[in-house]
Amino acid sequence: MNENTKARLNGLLLSAAHKIGLFLAMAVICLPGLWIVLASFRPTVEIMAKPPVWIPGDLSFDAYVAMFSGVGQGGIPVIEYFRNSLIVSVTSTAIALAIGMAGGYAFARFRFKVKSSIFLGLMLTRTVPGIALSLPLFFVYSKLGVIDTHFGLIMAYVALNVPFTIWLIDGFFRQVPKDLAEAAQIDGCTRWQAFWQVEFPLAGPGIASAGIFAFLTSWNEFALASQLTRSVNSKTLPVGLLDYTAEFTIDWRGMCALAVIMIIPALVLTFIVQKHLVSGLTSGAVKG
Amino acid sequence: MATVSLEKLVKRYGAVEVVHGIDLDVADREFIALVGPSGCGKSTTLRMIAGLEPISGGNLRIGGKIVNDLPPRSRNLAMVFQSYALYPHMTVRENMGFSLKIAGQTPEEIAPRVEEAAKTLDLTHLLDRRPSQLSGGQRQRVAMGRAIVRQPEVFLFDEPLSNLDAKLRTQMRVEIKKLHAKVQSTVIYVTHDQVEAMTLADRIVIMRDGHIEQVGTPEDVFQRPNSKFVAGFIGSPPMNLKDAEIADGHVVFSSGDRLPLPSRFRDRVTAGQRVTFGLRPDDLYPAGHGIHSGEDADVYRHDLHVILTEPLGNETLVFSDFGGAEWVGRMLNPRRLVSGEALPFCFDLSQAHLFDGETGKTLRG
Amino acid sequence: MKGWRPPAPFLLLLPAIVVLAAVVIVPLILSLYSSFTPFRLTQPASLYTFVGFRNYARILADREFWTAFGRTVLLLTVALNVEMLLGLGLAMLVEKATSGQRLLRTIMMFPMMFSPILVGFQFKFMFNDNIGLVNNALQSLGLTDQAIPWLIDGSLAFTAILVAEIWSSTSVFAILILAGLLAMPKEPIEAARVDGCTPWQTFRYVTWPFIMPFAYIAMTIRSLDVARAYDIVKIMTDGGPAKRTELIWTLVSRTAYADARMGLANAMAYVAILLSILFTVYFFRKLAAARTQIAAEW
Repeated sequence: MNENTKARLNGLLLSAAHKIGLFLAMAVICLPGLWIVLASFRPTVEIMAKPPVWIPGDLSFDAYVAMFSGVGQGGIPVIEYFRNSLIVSVTSTAIALAIGMAGGYAFARFRFKVKSSIFLGLMLTRTVPGIALSLPLFFVYSKLGVIDTHFGLIMAYVALNVPFTIWLIDGFFRQVPKDLAEAAQIDGCTRWQAFWQVEFPLAGPGIASAGIFAFLTSWNEFALASQLTRSVNSKTLPVGLLDYTAEFTIDWRGMCALAVIMIIPALVLTFIVQKHLVSGLTSGAVKG
Repeated sequence: MATVSLEKLVKRYGAVEVVHGIDLDVADREFIALVGPSGCGKSTTLRMIAGLEPISGGNLRIGGKIVNDLPPRSRNLAMVFQSYALYPHMTVRENMGFSLKIAGQTPEEIAPRVEEAAKTLDLTHLLDRRPSQLSGGQRQRVAMGRAIVRQPEVFLFDEPLSNLDAKLRTQMRVEIKKLHAKVQSTVIYVTHDQVEAMTLADRIVIMRDGHIEQVGTPEDVFQRPNSKFVAGFIGSPPMNLKDAEIADGHVVFSSGDRLPLPSRFRDRVTAGQRVTFGLRPDDLYPAGHGIHSGEDADVYRHDLHVILTEPLGNETLVFSDFGGAEWVGRMLNPRRLVSGEALPFCFDLSQAHLFDGETGKTLRG
Repeated sequence: MKGWRPPAPFLLLLPAIVVLAAVVIVPLILSLYSSFTPFRLTQPASLYTFVGFRNYARILADREFWTAFGRTVLLLTVALNVEMLLGLGLAMLVEKATSGQRLLRTIMMFPMMFSPILVGFQFKFMFNDNIGLVNNALQSLGLTDQAIPWLIDGSLAFTAILVAEIWSSTSVFAILILAGLLAMPKEPIEAARVDGCTPWQTFRYVTWPFIMPFAYIAMTIRSLDVARAYDIVKIMTDGGPAKRTELIWTLVSRTAYADARMGLANAMAYVAILLSILFTVYFFRKLAAARTQIAAEW
């Protein structure tokens, strides 16, 4: 065979293999999620059917209707859970952002002694497994009487999110050239004004994505929430998911429906954040 | 034998064609410069030769063999990149020996070849450094060293000097010329700098919008440009090119100023034809300050007002007003001029060019 | 000390330090203390009995604990390595794609937005021996006619947990490595191709040295919350069957909340914390080295 034809054939083969590989990878990533969405629209008999029913015959919103129909009628207090999740996530994110911005700015713009040790120390607080932290926190919170309150959960999530928020925001401030703030100061700004007028707007999109990341962490957290919440007063969606499990059975359809409710806000936010998140992580980490 | 032949070579990105079927034959051991403004397709052409861009149409032969679909590694060529493209995590020695290592040579075989190339390029004392510890000029030499170590049949250069400052550029230009004299390989050299092309190449290929405008020796393209584009591109400062009209044996400019029509164009134009008149700055000089004495028959004398001067030491560029436009002249053995001063100028019409006003093609026979 | 003003960075970091001290450090000190007591939630007075290292001595001699510990290390080692390899592969597949980059990247991040507990349920559902997608598919394709007891057999359950863990975290690696690939200058790769490299050699000698630091970043970020595997395991098997998928974290949770032996659980938790810290510090150091290298050379 001609050398050129062979080389071309090789190229075609490679690109075909690439396409197939890409398709398979994407399928594996998407399939579990899609299966959940599908199951939430199917009647339980179809989910449980043996042999399995592959082509859904009967799609409906019954699971969602049942979920919202109130406790006692097969529903769960989903509105309350959603509200709790929202209050806790939003508040803890806002506080974590404020603290993280101050800290991130300190790391990005100042030189000080033992800087890298402090940074590592902050990160290490994040590595404490939620379950390990939940034991003493549970004890302290019971003494303080903040078990099963929004406040308790918010504080815990702020602490959980601050280290990583600082890492991200540090990275975003590093991307803003120092000269700009200096130029603003020469133009007559105070350091404070220079920050708000110049550096903050430029790092803004990055800070927003750090916020979304913190929000997602709080929104999805389970280990702490499962110990620090008790009732509809403060139970969040991940904990609420357990309402669909009984001692030996699981209401798969209802659980899938709740999962969909939980995932939608996360989906939307991640879509918004994707571009900045990566650049912040890498710039902070590589140029550190 | 490393001839390189481009036969109707085409490059398309989707529906957009950027190189339109160009033909070019490069002889063995020839130094060819591809030159043109940015976006003219010269780098794309070079990258097709290297095998870094797929060829959309036509044929590419190296040493007579069609290599259209072969990967770069099967083409036996070396390339020097604009950004040098050194491997940052390897020392100079490893960088230079890398291609040999890939080719499966033993360290004993590689070492003497690297040493020799390093000696040629005066890099011996830098062999154990990393690229990040080198200056721009040194990196450039390492990039060349990496190319010559392979002893390839064809060298490709992609704007290798454009990241250097002016002084180093001049110096490296000489180095490259010496190198070519020594290694005797075929060289294809892409640049946007016409001075580099003129000083280095055996033949220059001037490209524009994916077409070849003219191929020729440096003298050819300078003295006999085929088009208004080539005339304006080659030469520094560029040729004066002014739109005009032919009327009763004269070239008449918009302001009504006129120059006699040089005799050799007399049969090639008709009255009323739109043309572009071209005259190099060397051929427009204050009387007594030109390359030529100014006594020839074809010299037209006219008084011009000086607008501005650019003294360069050995000569002065003189900007003056004629025919409603600004013309650049070159004054040898300069004396001080003040703006507004009126001087007798010589237009050496024996060196004048005339291009068709519509097509831009030369009207020379 | 009139006129002394604390340095600006200290002031800026103060809120972070205060919050972390209040919510993490102080409780941890408390739990450190209680790990030296036989504290039980049901007997508050037991908090004041000091027993020295008895809890630690007990767990050090406890087979069950060491099995869980070993299993945790095994899970993390296998998961992190596989995630890294798959993430690398995924990133390269996506980077090579000529169209639909934005869509592909978004899909690639998809598992990141799943709460770990959701991942647990999702895979518990899929690996269900009776109605799960996996068994249904295997049976419908005729590969087996039995119901494979994915979550009931010990080693199969461990595999199922691994799959869930890998599915949920490969994205982190893929995304960061992709960022590395996109940040990489193209010319050294082209130079390598002209220098005679095959695609594999180009990857081995040029691409990999460049993206290695990005892999370390991903490792570091992952190591910050390796314990999220707890949520997955808690839901999928809760350490069962018969403690064959017990990880150090589920053991802590069981000892503390089911058996109410807080003191003992805190001692275990400290071992778990130590494990996390070791992982993180190790990768931070790797990262720092890689970072200096890349800053100096590229």
